[in-house]
Amino acid sequence: MNSNRFLLWWDRVIAMTVKELKQLFRDPVLLAIIVYFFTADVYLAGEGIKLNLHNASVMVIDHDHSAASRELIYRFRPPYFDLKGEISGKKEAENLLNKGKVLAVLDIPEHFQRNLLRGKQVAVQLQVDTSDTVLGTLATSYAAQITADFGQDFAMQELGPVTGQTDNLPVIEDRHRVLYNPNQIDGWFMSISELLTVITILSMLLPAAAAVREKERGTIEQLAVSPLTPLQILLPKVIAMSLVILLGTAVCLFLIIIPAFHLPVKGSIPLFFAVTALYVFATSGIGLFIATASRTLGQVTMLVVLLMMPILLLSGVWTPPEAMPQGLRWAMTFSPLYYLTEMSYAILLKGADMYILKDLLLGLTLLGIAFFSFGVWRFRRQFG
Amino acid sequence: MGETALVKEPVIKIQGFCKSYKKQPAVKGIDLSVERGEIYGLIGPDGSGKSSLMKAIAGVLSFEQGELEVFGIKVDSESAAELIKARLGFMPQGLGLNLYADLSVEENIDFFAQLRQVTPAQLDQRKRKLLGITRLDKFRDRPMKNLSGGMKQKLGLVCTLIHEPELIILDEPTTGVDPVSRGDFWAILAELLREQGVTALVATAYMDEAARFHRLSLMYDGHILAAGEPEFICRQAQGSLVELSAEPQIQALDQLKNHYSQVEAIGSRLRVFIDNQSSDQAAKTVSNLLVGVDIKAIHASQPELEDAFIALLRRQRLSEQKTNSHTVPRFDKPLLENQGIAIAARQLTRDFGRFRAVDQIDFTVRQGEIFGLLGANGAGKTTAIKMLTGILPPTGGEGQVAGADMRYAGQTIKERIGYMSQAFSLYLDLTVIENIRLYARIYGVNRDIIKQRIAWVIDIAGLTDVTGQMTAGLPMGIRQRLALGCALVHQPGVLFLDEPTSGVDPVGRRRFWDILVHLARVEQVAILVTTHYMSEAEHCDHLALMYAGRVISDESPTNMIQSLQQEAGQLLEITTDRPLETLALLKQAGFNGAALFGKHIHLLALDIAAAEKQIRALLDRQAIRLIDSTIHAPTLEDVFVYRVLALENKERL
Repeated sequence: MNSNRFLLWWDRVIAMTVKELKQLFRDPVLLAIIVYFFTADVYLAGEGIKLNLHNASVMVIDHDHSAASRELIYRFRPPYFDLKGEISGKKEAENLLNKGKVLAVLDIPEHFQRNLLRGKQVAVQLQVDTSDTVLGTLATSYAAQITADFGQDFAMQELGPVTGQTDNLPVIEDRHRVLYNPNQIDGWFMSISELLTVITILSMLLPAAAAVREKERGTIEQLAVSPLTPLQILLPKVIAMSLVILLGTAVCLFLIIIPAFHLPVKGSIPLFFAVTALYVFATSGIGLFIATASRTLGQVTMLVVLLMMPILLLSGVWTPPEAMPQGLRWAMTFSPLYYLTEMSYAILLKGADMYILKDLLLGLTLLGIAFFSFGVWRFRRQFG
Repeated sequence: MGETALVKEPVIKIQGFCKSYKKQPAVKGIDLSVERGEIYGLIGPDGSGKSSLMKAIAGVLSFEQGELEVFGIKVDSESAAELIKARLGFMPQGLGLNLYADLSVEENIDFFAQLRQVTPAQLDQRKRKLLGITRLDKFRDRPMKNLSGGMKQKLGLVCTLIHEPELIILDEPTTGVDPVSRGDFWAILAELLREQGVTALVATAYMDEAARFHRLSLMYDGHILAAGEPEFICRQAQGSLVELSAEPQIQALDQLKNHYSQVEAIGSRLRVFIDNQSSDQAAKTVSNLLVGVDIKAIHASQPELEDAFIALLRRQRLSEQKTNSHTVPRFDKPLLENQGIAIAARQLTRDFGRFRAVDQIDFTVRQGEIFGLLGANGAGKTTAIKMLTGILPPTGGEGQVAGADMRYAGQTIKERIGYMSQAFSLYLDLTVIENIRLYARIYGVNRDIIKQRIAWVIDIAGLTDVTGQMTAGLPMGIRQRLALGCALVHQPGVLFLDEPTSGVDPVGRRRFWDILVHLARVEQVAILVTTHYMSEAEHCDHLALMYAGRVISDESPTNMIQSLQQEAGQLLEITTDRPLETLALLKQAGFNGAALFGKHIHLLALDIAAAEKQIRALLDRQAIRLIDSTIHAPTLEDVFVYRVLALENKERL
């Protein structure tokens, strides 16, 4: 009898899950959105967004016209900088910067070479447009590095013939080893982070949309008088939508990220999917809460956008936790995306295993249980 | 057609009107003309083309074919439409849909006045008058969303009338409104007609409102079946209606169905339409036909509009005629559980905060009984049903449903009952069979028999031809049967129906009630129906009338009518040559219940003879000619209005 009841319980859930899937596959708009998110959107993010400096436009005011100045100018070259040519004076430089035609203007003073050869200190000026902070800061630091390298090389050249032993100079050489993404390909980072964002949006939106649609169309009324419990009404939506999201994630990983960006998966793919499934379940709890707080699909989407912002900002995708003020670092423990981001990069790029991730896994599980119970509790109060 | 001989320019003139939506024709060639100062009705079920026609007349919908003239202006362009729009008022379908929920009554009116460029002085005067007639003046500051359904419709009417249009177009103004508010609504319309001589074009899905119109068009599937005065249309059906009560009823019903295609059972009565026979002939034919049945009473008369509608449809072969060849399949096994009482409510009470929605109600429903719960919007019907179906725990009192205690066994109750909600609440993006299968699994129908059970549902609900179709594409009547089928999928002993047939055409409604009558009489299913439509109430064996959370009357329909007759008397129908003046006169003379029904006036009077004498004298003095006066038995609608108004008046004192 007990096992019969158990089977009946699950048979009802399965029947409802099949219904949810059928409805989803008959909704062309929602389907198109899902397909777009998991393919084109991730591809665009991986291909389009660059975190390194790429072909930043530079112009030069060269007051020296010497071999040394030409040598320095020559070092501002692709892929980081794109030398657009020479201009005559400060006025023109200002004008171009104001109009946003160039990102930076390099100003080389008169007697640049002479002073260098005489062993005097020389300064060059770089005017940088930092209205885009990231780009501006990158340009400044790259330029600083180029100038420093040039200065060092020039000094060596001049000193070398004199002393004959450049190797003994007290110079620190920075030999960094880039781990996990040796070529620093932005596409790896960007496409994965976009995929995680997409998973987050959809795992809130899809169950919430499915639940609020029952309200909008009045079908909830018939379910409320049936022997289904609130959990049996909600669980199928979460199961169905999780299946769809996991399928989308697989498509995205195997058909977009790996082929397009040549991501070498270091860790266990099943572990990645298991973590993702856990995450979708956790986040769908927020979706269910959204469904109880809204009456229409429009309200659902607004709330998803609203909640997406803090989840994303507190996830550590854009700012690492260490860079956050203490209060926000604490708040990050409530952003489910924080756990997923940490774990996904760890699994896919670093090859981390379950043991390494145990704390994060535990955190996400607890958060998931809390969110999901809250969502079901709200729903039960509304319709129970 | 008995119209006054005065040659009048029609306000609306339509010829060969056609309208399609994406190649799907909605109106298929209609001719119509509406005279100045009349209330013209468009009656037809959902999807018959009423709304499309009305929108085109209001100048807000373009059309492909035909000619449309309003106020003598040909509506064939945007600019022509603008010309007529200023002179008419249009109230679209839906309770308060054209109003702003968060604005107060007065703000809504002011907004529409500004939109129509009514001067402040005019606005002030009209507002005072209209709010007075509609009795909304006490609620000036109340936000529209907090008004009852009937009040919303009255406010909608005020907003439509604020610029004093010559023509008002009202699309289903009485749908979803309780009988008392409906009565109010018609009275206001009559008064405006008298005072301002407006012309009104009104659509309704309810045949029983036909008597309210001077003339009307019966619409079905984009065509006009018949047009003219209500009596004229009834005569066009050419036949008689025989009403009888017989024992055993189900046997008599079967015998009649074998011979006639227009037969229905309403409560304990059977109604048969006999083609091409006079009343006397028809009664004889029917009594000769029935064998082995004890006829208790038989009576033949002219058909009512609904009978005429079905007869006309049948002649024009516009509707499928499968109703009678259809034998309803039986339950797998007879209902055993608790043969006596199916639903028992004792002192059932529910509070929401300090508001008492249901106040100590008592009633019982036996197996095999069709029980009606009547009441206006907000009377507590829905709350009562929610408690009985196990969704809402009661605050006090107790109840048994299908042998389970509703205080503790909500889940058990849910497994034993079937429920069909007012709004269609199945999945439109699933096919018919997918919906049935889903509910079969939700109700835990055994895997071994699920296939047979689905076939049984399809059979009992008559869905054989549409099993694979997407539910979204089905007409209302079939959707309702699908909803009933899904509610029956576990063959429950108790069935709850919340306003099951609103918006369904009469043919569909008959077929629907056929199934219900079978379920009650043959399978002994207990059926509880909530409604404020008297056409549904008439089907019930027993009625409970609710008002302000209480049951104020609990009787069989016949007894309800009889006790009203004892208290308030018979219904007197008066026809004069100047009905509007007559109405005003009668109201002055103290006949407060007098109401206008098209060209006739209805009033209740205990001493008919004395009343008639008094009225004759009154009319003589004003030189109004009394054309006819007849006595009718009051209807259930009269019972409802009388009882509720009596209580309202008592509370006011």
